[in-house]
Amino acid sequence: MNNAKKLMWAAKRLLFAAPVAALALTGTANAQCENCTNEDPKQILLKLIDETKSPYLSQSPQNLMMMDDNPAYFVVDDGKELFEKKGGPKNVSLEQCDFGKGPGVIDGAYAEMPRYFEDTGKVMHLETRLVHCMQTLQGFEKGDKKLKTGNDIRAMMAYIGARSNGYKWNPPMDHPLEKAMRDAGEVMFYRRSSVLDFSCNTCHGEAGKKIRASVLPSVNEPKEWTKAVSWPAKRVGRGTNARTPSQRVLGCYWQMRKGKINGRSDAAIAMFSFWTDKARGQPAILPDLKR
Amino acid sequence: MYRKITHKPGLTALVSLSLFAFAGGSAVADSAKKVDYTKMSAEQLAEYLIFEAKGFEVDDKTQEGTTVRDRLMQDELQKTCSKLKGNPVDGDTAEKVTQMAMKSMVYPEGGIKLGDWKKGQALAQNAFGFRVGHNVDDHSKKETGGMCMNCHQLEQSKVERSGTLGVSLIGYGKTLGTDEDAKKHAYQVIYNPHSLFPCSNMPRFGANGVLTQEKIAHLLAYLLDPESPVNK
Repeated sequence: MNNAKKLMWAAKRLLFAAPVAALALTGTANAQCENCTNEDPKQILLKLIDETKSPYLSQSPQNLMMMDDNPAYFVVDDGKELFEKKGGPKNVSLEQCDFGKGPGVIDGAYAEMPRYFEDTGKVMHLETRLVHCMQTLQGFEKGDKKLKTGNDIRAMMAYIGARSNGYKWNPPMDHPLEKAMRDAGEVMFYRRSSVLDFSCNTCHGEAGKKIRASVLPSVNEPKEWTKAVSWPAKRVGRGTNARTPSQRVLGCYWQMRKGKINGRSDAAIAMFSFWTDKARGQPAILPDLKR
Repeated sequence: MYRKITHKPGLTALVSLSLFAFAGGSAVADSAKKVDYTKMSAEQLAEYLIFEAKGFEVDDKTQEGTTVRDRLMQDELQKTCSKLKGNPVDGDTAEKVTQMAMKSMVYPEGGIKLGDWKKGQALAQNAFGFRVGHNVDDHSKKETGGMCMNCHQLEQSKVERSGTLGVSLIGYGKTLGTDEDAKKHAYQVIYNPHSLFPCSNMPRFGANGVLTQEKIAHLLAYLLDPESPVNK
């Protein structure tokens, strides 16, 4: 190659390299989570750490490093596909599901759940509402295998969750049922029982406390508590799916030596109602990455 | 300690439903009476959601031969301390609870003895036992422990993986000694902590049957024996 051509070749390569380099240095808003709303979950967490210096929020530098590559982001992508795909006996997608902000509106909807729904007369959470839509829109019959909490439902929940990333938790408390469920959840939170006399408050009532090696979030610190309730999330080392709030609360009641809570029961929803209320005003981190 | 409730709402509903059908009654009434959550107090609703609305698998069996229902039913001490909702205990409640706790105190026959601190150390790090639900702890397969390290620091070399929900017990025996008063104090804390710390977060390891007298003796040695790593 003669010198002129060499120069041209080098110049062309440099021209192409520059924007790629710029991209790598700055990163686009959602370079890591394509289907999350607002800024990346990691940025939300970093801002909260900066504001609070909380030992709970900052306890895992490894998790922070891994957040850019959170496998839950792929689960979210899968969930979007499943959500928009035609399915069920009626061969319809779930896109017109009403999560409380009107049919077809999903951005920010999860951050306003649990909430009362006129059409069922109940306070519902993400999982129960999604299953409701699978029945009413897609025509699945009660008892159908597809309505069980498998990876498909988890993926769709992760997707709907990601569309509330960065939104402030804001479950409505206007309807008497919403308040009743939230207050019952509060009683449950402080309710000591079973052989170890534990309540949720035993572990989550004071900031900076550790159980074994883990720093616990305090229910009295909203900027900590928002991360605590940010589910669906990927738990490091536990399967490829995104864990749901029901799985988290199941684990809690198991550790407390109490018994198996039913994830779609009103007891669980009452608990979700209270625990979301305690994170009110703080940004959701969805999907999260956890220990 | 746990009241057992006998409750068969399902059976009653079924019977009344069949009677309706048999009598050729018109539109069969919904056998499950519609409960208005807004008419109940928060406490009533919580109890209802836990026990009556399939909130929990209340018929699951426990390792101690009871059911999850029995575990979820609160005794007097749990009810009393729950009312605090995380707030510090007031004078009246403190007095009521310490008296309740002292009444429950059962001391080992032959007096309080120190066991083997090495066994106590193993028990302190062992959090196995009493879990039910989706993953049941099989007590026939493994020894159950006191899970002390979940909440307490006991050995300096292990603080990274020791909890801080409870006070640090590093050097506990060095401070307390090994005389009868020391043994009695430590025993009371483990058997029923409310005797000294009303509405403490700590479980009633003795009174609730989580630890046997033998295991308590080993833990006492781990805590008080000058040779134990806790006191080195």
